[in-house]
Amino acid sequence: MLQSMKDLLSRRRYGAPVVIVSGLPRSGTSMMMKMLDAGGVPIMTDHVRQADVDNPKGYYEFERVKDMEKDPDKSWVRDGRGKAVKVISWLLKQLPDDSAYDIVFMRRDIDEVLASQNKMLKHRDEADATDDAAMAEAYRHHLAEVRILARKKPNWRMIEVRYDQAVQDPAAVAKSVNAFLGGRLDERKMVEAVDEKLYRNRKDGLTAPKPA
Amino acid sequence: MFGFGKTVPVKLDKDLHERVRKIADVAGYATVEEFVAHVLEKEMIHFEDAKNDEDIRKKLKGLGYIS
Repeated sequence: MLQSMKDLLSRRRYGAPVVIVSGLPRSGTSMMMKMLDAGGVPIMTDHVRQADVDNPKGYYEFERVKDMEKDPDKSWVRDGRGKAVKVISWLLKQLPDDSAYDIVFMRRDIDEVLASQNKMLKHRDEADATDDAAMAEAYRHHLAEVRILARKKPNWRMIEVRYDQAVQDPAAVAKSVNAFLGGRLDERKMVEAVDEKLYRNRKDGLTAPKPA
Repeated sequence: MFGFGKTVPVKLDKDLHERVRKIADVAGYATVEEFVAHVLEKEMIHFEDAKNDEDIRKKLKGLGYIS
């Protein structure tokens, strides 16, 4: 009851919330974008970054997001009201305060994230001198900062989704994300959008996907 | 270190407080407060470390997620 009143007041003040899919790069953000797309959420993407070996199903990115630290003009974010846009966790603090945000935040084991990021850097021929242990620590602190920020921002709502759970039990994740976003999405299609085969950088102990 | 009028109370779970008290005693801290402040100061450095930010920024740039 209290939440629905809050939602109503927020909607009057900010309009429809911008749905943000966030997380560290390689934590399943593209997969969640694909789920939302399939479920019926309009997607804000320009298709500039094309699918590749690291993201065979596409990136679902919007180029202006990458410039958010440098570009003072963030008025385009308002165009995302009622749509979903991918914003990596590092850039969340750049979101302007003139919109409300429903943030679906992807979480994945940091060692898996780093393994996947390091592979991607190799594919891109990018040098990487950072030590994995130091990077993992930096990411952990960064994620804690994001949580602190999310608590402070009255115009942010956030749900955390674990990548491994989304792959292993997509129906449960589709249900909780749909409930978070108001319950109007097609959960069956969201589930169908999940491709377990793309969960490639797994820690030992997790079940490997069955061959197609 | 803890000047009069310059501190604020922080609530801790009773069990945690007891563990903290024991360790503070063994480790030679004068008070539980001194120990807690020291641990927090050490942890805060990680959050305030600009090098962490630079490492992350470099990595994200290499991955093509920021310009």
